[in-house]
Amino acid sequence: MSDSTINRLALKKDALFPLQRLHAYAQGLPVDRLPCVPIVGNTAARVLGVTVSSLRNNGKSLADAQVASYRRFGYDNIRVFTDLYTIAEGMGARIRVPEDETAFLAEPAIESVSRISGLRPVDPWRDGVLPEHLEAIKRVVQEVGNEVPVTAALTGPFTNASFLIGAVNLSRLVLKDPASVHSLCKLSLESALAYAEAIFDAGGMPSLTDAMSSSSVISPKQFEEFSYPYLKTLVDYIHSKSRPATLHICGKTSPIWDKMADTRADCISIDNDANLLDAKKKIGHRVRLMGNVHPSAIMLQGTPQDIRREVFKCVIAAHDNPKGFVVASGCSLPTETPFENIDAMLDAVRETGYPVNAGLLEEIVNNSL
Amino acid sequence: MSDNKEQTFFTALSDAVLNMDEGTVEEIAHRVIKEKIDAYRAIENGLVDGMNRAGQLFEDEEYFIPEILLCSDAMYAGLNILNPYINREQQRTRKKVVIGVVEGDTHDIGKNLVKTLLDAAGFEVIDLGRDVQPRQIVDAAIAEHADVIALSTLMTTTMDGMAAVVQILQESGQRDAFKVIVGGGPISQTFADRIGADGYAPSAPAAVKLLHKLFKDSIYV
Ligand code: B12
Repeated sequence: MSDSTINRLALKKDALFPLQRLHAYAQGLPVDRLPCVPIVGNTAARVLGVTVSSLRNNGKSLADAQVASYRRFGYDNIRVFTDLYTIAEGMGARIRVPEDETAFLAEPAIESVSRISGLRPVDPWRDGVLPEHLEAIKRVVQEVGNEVPVTAALTGPFTNASFLIGAVNLSRLVLKDPASVHSLCKLSLESALAYAEAIFDAGGMPSLTDAMSSSSVISPKQFEEFSYPYLKTLVDYIHSKSRPATLHICGKTSPIWDKMADTRADCISIDNDANLLDAKKKIGHRVRLMGNVHPSAIMLQGTPQDIRREVFKCVIAAHDNPKGFVVASGCSLPTETPFENIDAMLDAVRETGYPVNAGLLEEIVNNSL
Repeated sequence: MSDNKEQTFFTALSDAVLNMDEGTVEEIAHRVIKEKIDAYRAIENGLVDGMNRAGQLFEDEEYFIPEILLCSDAMYAGLNILNPYINREQQRTRKKVVIGVVEGDTHDIGKNLVKTLLDAAGFEVIDLGRDVQPRQIVDAAIAEHADVIALSTLMTTTMDGMAAVVQILQESGQRDAFKVIVGGGPISQTFADRIGADGYAPSAPAAVKLLHKLFKDSIYV
């Protein structure tokens, strides 16, 4: 059955700026629609029409791209991000930067634990590409900071530790040499705190992301020992600046939801390997949820209709989350995500409107099957 | 030597692998040799059995990556001791697998697990690492006279690298020389069929079963 005639709700234009919307939503006041964050990273290069690598070490281009992308799509959060490795690079990891793809780890900073003592936390105003990222934050804040929250990705200490000594190495050390894992995480924490402070000084807010803490990789007990304390310190730090903290962990996370909430993060962003309805039941009274349209299978490869349907499903599952809900992709979007798919995500949220009529959405989803 | 006593050794090896106890594995492996127990069977019924049990715990989400890595370390410690004592014929005729993560992707935890379990299952595995160009993979497979090309990727954005490998094989008339198997997060049976691969498996233990099926349970040439 074609959805276009019968089952399309009126598409309303945004009436509020993101900051107004988020503020009102947090207070339980009327809003035009739910907040929506397709997590745009290097897709911003496509909006500006430049190569991916041209953003990484150029604050002006990075800012221009992020602002252009925000203006193009109208989502509710700008996240200055090029790749996960910027801090580790500042600490000595070797990063490969392909001309037009996301950068990746070529070689960890050290090969064995005997070298840990040679590692130093970063100086974000000096090391690697961090100064350019800070420059980008400043510029974005200057241009659009009065209408939209400006955040910068901050890689979690356990994940950063994996870039210092290699993921497989670190995984072994978790059982064989816990003290060294803690040393690497502590160094990473110091770097993260320094970068977080610099992000605040630049006018932005850090947003935590921690792939290796996933239950796809380490056990809930290992998370509790090697990741949780460091994430908690970062959240506490963000709160000391009277700012809200968002924590994203990729892959499977249901076994650690309670602990993620225990960090006192205000918003938890979950991936497509996790279930929004379950998350709502388990921790929805403690944290805002954000998620979880599949970044690749749906956002990259799906059609606008697929995206509309998946957004509705997420909204049905979590619109009544006690601490609120942000429609989002499960993780950063792949660079080549089609613009019309990002538009489709926002349009689906605009179409949903507020307050949400879940019954109506369910009917639409059922009819579109 | 009574079967019973042998079995005690095998069970002890298997348990030590499962318990990530490298020291005990080495100790028992040395005793296996001293007692002139068949090294090949000690590998199969002891070390490999332990690794299979570890694989099962991983599927059940009781073991995670750290545990699996240490189990595999323990298994390799035993293999290093026992391998020189197994019958040469058996060694020479093992099927050979060339494995790699396709170009643009550096996720290698899953690939390492597949490599370990294939190794444990008796395949000879050549690891090309991560971020490997399709050409390089094919060249290595030819140079190594491999029987299997195993490709891993966790990113949708790099899946095409798998299709490229199959295509290069086809264009150079070498497609039938290798079984091509694929896996990783975004990969599915449908995708494997579409690019003309010989098989797909969702996990490392399943990859072993897949190869056994493709070779009709005979992993020896
Ligand atoms: C840990 C992790 C990382 C670690 C990887 C460390 C390492 N050395 O491998 C780090 C932090 C470095 C990382 C980096 C990135 N990651 Co990452 N990562 C993950 C995560 C959380 C878990 C992956 C993992 O190791 N799982 C455990 C292993 C054991 O499982 P597995 O790999 O699937 O393997 C099993 C099976 O698939 C199968 N299998 C695997 N290979 C093969 C091969 C054959 C032949 C067969 C038969 C079977 C088989 O057997 C294995 C064992 O049972 C996933 C989330 C997820 N849902 O998977 C994201 C994920 C894979 N990452 C993702 C992304 C986007 C990235 C980055 C691009 C992020 C960024 N913007 O910088 C970079 C990649 C840079 C690059 N170019 O490579 C995305 C990929 C999305 C996409 N495009 O499709 C995911 C899916 C997260 C998400 N939902 O968006 N990541």
